[in-house]
Amino acid sequence: MEELKGAISLIGYGLAAIGPGVGIGIIAGNAVQAMARQPEAAGMVRTTMFLGIAFTEALALIGFVLFFLA
Amino acid sequence: MEQLILASGECDLTSNAVCAPENVNELFEFRTPIFEIFGFPVTRTVVLVFLAAFLAILFVYLGLRKSSTRPGKLQLSVESLMTFVRDEIAVGIIGPHGIRYFPYLLSLFLFLLIGNMFEITPFINFPITARMAIPLFLSLLTWVIFVFAGFKRNGMSYFLGIVWPPGVPVALKPLVGLIEFFSIFFIRPFSLAVRLFANLVAGHVMLTLLLTTAFVSVTSIGSIGLVKGLFGLAWWALALAIFMFEMIVILLQAYIFTLLSAVYIDTSINVEH
Repeated sequence: MEELKGAISLIGYGLAAIGPGVGIGIIAGNAVQAMARQPEAAGMVRTTMFLGIAFTEALALIGFVLFFLA
Repeated sequence: MEQLILASGECDLTSNAVCAPENVNELFEFRTPIFEIFGFPVTRTVVLVFLAAFLAILFVYLGLRKSSTRPGKLQLSVESLMTFVRDEIAVGIIGPHGIRYFPYLLSLFLFLLIGNMFEITPFINFPITARMAIPLFLSLLTWVIFVFAGFKRNGMSYFLGIVWPPGVPVALKPLVGLIEFFSIFFIRPFSLAVRLFANLVAGHVMLTLLLTTAFVSVTSIGSIGLVKGLFGLAWWALALAIFMFEMIVILLQAYIFTLLSAVYIDTSINVEH
């Protein structure tokens, strides 16, 4: 068997991606539900959804940057 | 095969392009400058920055040079883009005052869009926003604008509203104020820059790895056999799919950066009392 290679920061990045992954799923799912219930508010919901995704995603991206720094 | 590509530091194979893909190296090292102007070394990234700014100006100039009531294709695209930024971002988020920030937001959006587009442009293949200096500078620009706008519009009550937030129990005010202070003045510009940077770096590295894997597999058919070599085509197909995905990421990240700039300006202008 070959020797395992890699850095612990890879695992760290994987862990950092779990929370934002779940969070973005919740945001997008609820946005789809809102758009389906009230199609005339779709534009507003979409903008707010992007904002929410952008804020949630920040944690995963910080993990990604730390992976490079480590 | 993946070891060949990822082990860029210590491998000494004959083909240098395999060990150290040029684009990947460019992300982490200073490239040798192409030429110097007044002692400032000019690298490829600097040239691309100016090219992106020039293309953004050229796009708007050519589109609006001969404005007519029967717009052509170019004028229509420029106008619809400008209307989008004005109605959806500037006025839509900030409110009627947002029209004052429309020129900044439009230039930000166009520059980021073209700068990100370089990621999937053939023969360039390098998004300028994958260099931390550029998103960081743009986010600091946004930071200066929203702090300045807040002080200009609300005076000292802008700052006091952050460090001594109204509507919070007195016992919690110092704690909430401290958190708000750090989140607004330090975490905001940092996360704004990192979001753009990390998205573009991830896409760029992914594309480079996939395309290099495909290239190496197919070109080394002679040594690893036909069946293994043709697996490279699968990687190549995946890379093409990622190209489509990156197109969405490019548009979305330019949009989100501009949108968040507008949101930050909005929160410092329209403070809830």
